[in-house]
Amino acid sequence: MRVGTVRHDPRGPGRVRRLVAIALGGALLVAAAVGLGTGPASAAASDTNLTVTMDGSGIDTLNPFLSFYNGALNTFGLIYPSLNSLGKDGVPGPYLAKSWTTSDDKLTWTFTVQDGLKWSDGQPITAEDAAWTFNLIMTNPTAATANGSLVANFASVTAPDATTLVVKTKQPQANMLYVSIPVSGIPIVPKHVWSAHVADLKSYKNETYPVVGYGPWLLQTYQTDQFERFTANKAFRLGSSGAPKFDTLVVQLLKNSDASVAALKNGQVADTSVNAKQFDVLKADTKMTAVQEVGNGWTGLEINGGARTKSGKAIGTGNPLLGDPQVRSAIHWAIDKNKLLTNVLGGKGVVGNGYLPPAYPQWSWKPAAADAVTYDPAKANSILDAAGYTKGADGIRVDPRTGKKLDFRLGIHSDSASDAQISQFLKGWLTDIGISIRIDSLSFAQLNSNLSRADWDMLMDAWTTGPDPTYLLSIQTCGTLPDDTGANGNTDAFYCTPEYDKLFAQQVVTLDATERVKIVAQMQDILYKANYDIILFYGDGLEVYRNDHVSNLLFGPPSSTGLHPAQSVFWNYLDATPPGAASAAPAASSSKTGLVVGGVAVLVVLLAGAFVLRRRSTSDLRG
Amino acid sequence: MSIPPDVLLGEPLAADPTPDPPSGASGVGSKAGARTAALWFYARKLLAAVVSFFITLVIGFVLFQLMPADPVRALTQGRPTSAAQMQALRDSLGLDKPLWQRFASFVGDTLHGRLGFSWQFQEPVASLVGSHLWPTVLLMGVSTVISVSLGLWLGIRSGWRQGSVFDRISSGVSLTLWSVPTFWLGLLLLVAFSVGFGPIPSLFPADGMSDPSIAAAGWPHVVDVARHLVLPVATLVLGDYALYVSIMRSSLIDEMDSPYLLTARAKGLFDSDVRRKHAVPNALLPAVTVIFLQIGGIIGGAVTVETVYSWPGLGYLTYQALKVPDLPLLQGTFIIFSASVIIMNLAADVLYRFLDPRVRAQ
Repeated sequence: MRVGTVRHDPRGPGRVRRLVAIALGGALLVAAAVGLGTGPASAAASDTNLTVTMDGSGIDTLNPFLSFYNGALNTFGLIYPSLNSLGKDGVPGPYLAKSWTTSDDKLTWTFTVQDGLKWSDGQPITAEDAAWTFNLIMTNPTAATANGSLVANFASVTAPDATTLVVKTKQPQANMLYVSIPVSGIPIVPKHVWSAHVADLKSYKNETYPVVGYGPWLLQTYQTDQFERFTANKAFRLGSSGAPKFDTLVVQLLKNSDASVAALKNGQVADTSVNAKQFDVLKADTKMTAVQEVGNGWTGLEINGGARTKSGKAIGTGNPLLGDPQVRSAIHWAIDKNKLLTNVLGGKGVVGNGYLPPAYPQWSWKPAAADAVTYDPAKANSILDAAGYTKGADGIRVDPRTGKKLDFRLGIHSDSASDAQISQFLKGWLTDIGISIRIDSLSFAQLNSNLSRADWDMLMDAWTTGPDPTYLLSIQTCGTLPDDTGANGNTDAFYCTPEYDKLFAQQVVTLDATERVKIVAQMQDILYKANYDIILFYGDGLEVYRNDHVSNLLFGPPSSTGLHPAQSVFWNYLDATPPGAASAAPAASSSKTGLVVGGVAVLVVLLAGAFVLRRRSTSDLRG
Repeated sequence: MSIPPDVLLGEPLAADPTPDPPSGASGVGSKAGARTAALWFYARKLLAAVVSFFITLVIGFVLFQLMPADPVRALTQGRPTSAAQMQALRDSLGLDKPLWQRFASFVGDTLHGRLGFSWQFQEPVASLVGSHLWPTVLLMGVSTVISVSLGLWLGIRSGWRQGSVFDRISSGVSLTLWSVPTFWLGLLLLVAFSVGFGPIPSLFPADGMSDPSIAAAGWPHVVDVARHLVLPVATLVLGDYALYVSIMRSSLIDEMDSPYLLTARAKGLFDSDVRRKHAVPNALLPAVTVIFLQIGGIIGGAVTVETVYSWPGLGYLTYQALKVPDLPLLQGTFIIFSASVIIMNLAADVLYRFLDPRVRAQ
């Protein structure tokens, strides 16, 4: 209960006026801030700039000997040369090396290095730079951290003169021309800069700007977790391509796709990757061009068919019933991949079959008609019936030998909306054939840990690959199984058969491209029938760019419906050109923004004035 | 003996409320006793803070060791990596060392002011924390100052006129915003004010802390950072200020029927003076604790808001560390977060002693 007479302070309106004045000042400051920062007036006057988004993984370190993250690998592809390029048709071509020959025994590769190229600090680029880079990785464990396996088959690398590089291998190496390509291969670094950092290689961050290199771009600065700023290397030449057409390139790290789309719509960035829903919305915008690029990866269901260590010791808690090929086959027949593609990706992709994605047609493989597995729950049921798994009262099948139910765990990534969708479909389809699954939504770390320890039955899995499939094929070999402590494994699904391993070893040394393709097809056939990895679909890469900011991004055939995934970064930023009327749209937007901001400021002033006048006129009543 | 008017009003004093003791040995003894008591008080609090910090260290280490992790696999995912490379990486990260050895080096490093070496960034954790600290302090500092000021002001107004239209609207709006998920609110503001809608154009940038095309120095840079601050700060303020409104409002309502306010009114003081000079100082005490706890949490940042707006702060760094998980980085950020909360708690305890004579009298 309030007691007492309340007296009001006649000084009140004066304070109110002060508060209003402060508020007005604040509003005008904000308006000024908005106005000052709006539009391209704040950018350098005549330079053309291309701003794009960084790969979501970001940058771990700018030291190319230590880095694993895609944001950094893309950077190295832009600022350091490699021995070979990857042509627009997906075939290895010249870069530092203008030509190469192989010895009759296929163990010696001789590269002729271009003469007259210079690092950004004016020093000449020679074969010795390449030899020094490879040798450092071959001999220094720290330097081998990221790319050691790429030179594991090298016996020696020498540079007899400034334009000759000789690589001798222990056994023939089919993927030699992919070892040093932009982004996914080994970048060649300037010896005269890096030789001073061999001793402190582990801690050297390579953040002395501009970074000395040779590539289409020169890295001028990297603001941690924000952006990189490059300037065009006007001296750059590669085949018919000259220097980049834009003067500067900014690569921004945006931490979620909604922010990326917001930045695209307000003109902060010119190009970004999007998801299927964003793609559908943005493609209706006349200022945008939406591009569907053929998928360079797959999404699949991984099945633990009996995890073993390298020595053959059983490991983990996987359900042994999945070791039965009939159970895995039935699961494959029970999955409606077309429905998944439609419902999860809105049809933007291709139904999954072979282990290697369709972005690289030379490796793309489909099963023979007689072997193709399609959605057929009746067939799935008949397979399980024939194998003796009978349905119990609850509709779940039971193994007659052990009396155990076909009841499996399905691990999904907790941060993946598509995993959540797919798992619900799988649950329904597998229930229809008498298999129950329990969905475990796991963090990336937990899922990875379970995978390593083989504490799983089924997992949602996804992989992408570059143009050389060696690595993706390798993670199905026995050599990638963990040791008996459970450590140092790199296997995808604990698959291990001598037949597959033999073919893997064979394709590694087969330099004849046609022959190698045949071997790789056999390997994919084996994997398809093993059902350790059931490939559900290959999702298209979805990219949207502002056509009022950039044109001439790489399109089309020969092998895709859109951008070439492997070369998006390298070629797109190199070939992209500023459109003639680039500044028209932002300028109009700026003018519109100025009008609105000015209008809001005037409105605030008027409202505040009216408020003060009213307070003054009624102060007697309140005082 | 004349009684100071504030004592008559029953209001805690800014200065020592006890009457001056008579001069002489007993007075000196009393002052010395008070000083000793104060020193004991500070010593106890400091000791408690140190013990808390050490216990937090142990808990943090144990918890992080229990986390499921295969950092080598996570780090090398998608890259051609041989078993030998993986083993070399395990050796270099110290993953095969026994747990006690890792704990000993963790404690030793911490006591020497070192925070370890990040597995994924290949960089000292202290350096990473240093580069991410100031963006977070700026973001959280600005938003906390605005949240506290706005929340306390609205809380005072609402509490003083409990049940009024202002109170109902203010409390309703603040509680509604309090219950809105921060991520969703952030996205709404992003779409509304960064992308623009209808006649409203894009007013503020969608992401980051600065525009790459503006030099990182001088007035243009200040304005640029201010523009980038607007949306994340607005998201944090709208989500947080209700806390202060609620505390201040309920605390003030508790004071409303106190006799000292009746006395103040009986003296003929203006209503605003009664509120400002008598009611608010008493009602402010519970808010002080919350404010200091909040300030302690500033360093922890706001993972959600930093992710929505791509703000390069400690919150996002912690999120990156969790994904691998990068245990040295996680432990390092955990130490920093814990230390800041403990230090701010200590500061609140000390400040409380100055603000509230009852604490001094204990």
